[in-house]
Amino acid sequence: MTNQALTAEAVNQANRPSAEEIAARRKVIEVDHLDWSFGPRQVLFDINLDVREGEIMVIMGGSGSGKTTLLRHLVGLMPPLPGKIKLLGKDMGALSRMQLLDLKRRIGVAFQFGALFSSMSVSENVKLPLRELTDLEERTMDIMANMKLEVCNLSGFGHLMPSDLSGGMMKRASIARAIVMDPKLIFLDEPSSGLDPVVSSALDDLILKLRDAMDISVVVVSHDVESAYKIADRITILDKGEILISDRVEAVRNSTNERVQNLLHRRSEQAEIDPTEYLRRLAGD
Amino acid sequence: MANPAKIFETIGRRTVAGLDEMGYAAAIFFEAIYWTLTGWRYRQPVRITATFAAMMQFGVAALPIATLLAATIGLMLAIQSLYSLGLFGAEHYAYIGIALSVVREFSPMIMGILIAGRSGSAIAAKLATMSINQEVDALQVMGINPVRFLVSPVLIALVLMMPCLAMWANLVSILAAGLYVSAELNQSFGAYLNDTIEVLKTGDVWHGLGKATLFGIIIALVGVVNGSMVKGGAEGVGKVTTRSVVISITLIVVADMIFAYMTTQ
Repeated sequence: MTNQALTAEAVNQANRPSAEEIAARRKVIEVDHLDWSFGPRQVLFDINLDVREGEIMVIMGGSGSGKTTLLRHLVGLMPPLPGKIKLLGKDMGALSRMQLLDLKRRIGVAFQFGALFSSMSVSENVKLPLRELTDLEERTMDIMANMKLEVCNLSGFGHLMPSDLSGGMMKRASIARAIVMDPKLIFLDEPSSGLDPVVSSALDDLILKLRDAMDISVVVVSHDVESAYKIADRITILDKGEILISDRVEAVRNSTNERVQNLLHRRSEQAEIDPTEYLRRLAGD
Repeated sequence: MANPAKIFETIGRRTVAGLDEMGYAAAIFFEAIYWTLTGWRYRQPVRITATFAAMMQFGVAALPIATLLAATIGLMLAIQSLYSLGLFGAEHYAYIGIALSVVREFSPMIMGILIAGRSGSAIAAKLATMSINQEVDALQVMGINPVRFLVSPVLIALVLMMPCLAMWANLVSILAAGLYVSAELNQSFGAYLNDTIEVLKTGDVWHGLGKATLFGIIIALVGVVNGSMVKGGAEGVGKVTTRSVVISITLIVVADMIFAYMTTQ
């Protein structure tokens, strides 16, 4: 871990609300006994999870652990059945289509690869939710979009097309679009994937800045351990569709669960196999 | 030797998949109409600017190639009519066959095939690329209905522009055929036009325009359904684009036959 990251992590750690403070806050996400299967293959097993107001929750897990599927459930791209998901106090399974559309206006999502509309400029992308979901005048929309672009350090780049942006800029533009409607809750899918450590660290700072400045709850799906330590108030670790642990950063770090430690220290489970035992198994003894 | 059980299984599976696709297309069609009529109630109207942009892209921008094709078809029909009727010494009645076949058959079908290749493929490729890049997911999570945003403008544009293109093709084909026929038969162009207008009934024109509207719906739905069913990356986009054109043209020809049968019985 770099010194710079350590410092930033220490700063955030000092600012982190206590467990009691978090527990006293309203729940913005409640996941209750969520299971999900793709055909015969079950990918989520009895997921129970909550996220509180103003909290940064990082959901971690290896490839195929089910974190992206869980995210798709949380943002309403997959039905929460069987199980229940409450977002901002509303049971998503009980909402009509129109109520669900209304609820989605109050959340923001930034996808892993940005999902910016390639036929629109960055500024048009950021303005899209305002244009489609509000009756604001063009000038007001311009001002709001520019404000969000500035927050995401993209002022002056609004006229560019998505294909002209670097990976980091693309992610920041996607975040600017996610926050343009001033949501109470945002979801970020793998914000640091494919970025160099410096750009990734700047993105972490942006996430912390957004939480503090806009008082929003943030759910980050990531496999970047350093980034999680730096930004998270709580970390949830998924493995093979199950939640291994969902706790504060220190508790996760000090967990005695072997699978948690494997993930945090990037150890493959196969490496844990005793070589003699492995050879014996190969020989069929 | 092929296992008969396997053959029946494949036929059954493909039939079910085909019915599934038809059901999906019907659901999208009704949803697009629903949003067109009621979108304003939910403060999500179908955008007029997007609809006009699609009309420009599918209709106005296709005019040069549509004109060229229509003129060629008109000339081809005139040449064939004069040749075949000339065998019986009836070439002076060529205008009847030209007028009726252009207005009732050739204009809507040729425009349908042209727009299926030109715009149907573009619709499928655009939607497929958007699906792969998670742009459709992005719309959904923003609370923007993708059918209202992406499908309704395309459907409206094609339903409006296909009859316009067919009407334009009627004019161009008949004029092009008229130039050839009047020159070949030493007949005045005005007399040819007069005969053509005499033989054509309003019902013939409506027949052609009705077909063109139906073909517009087919092109839009086939493009949208194929685009949204994409799997894989760039290769998947290529596959659905090709599939969309092939299915559109096949459906246009089949629908043309059914339409002709049902309206002439």
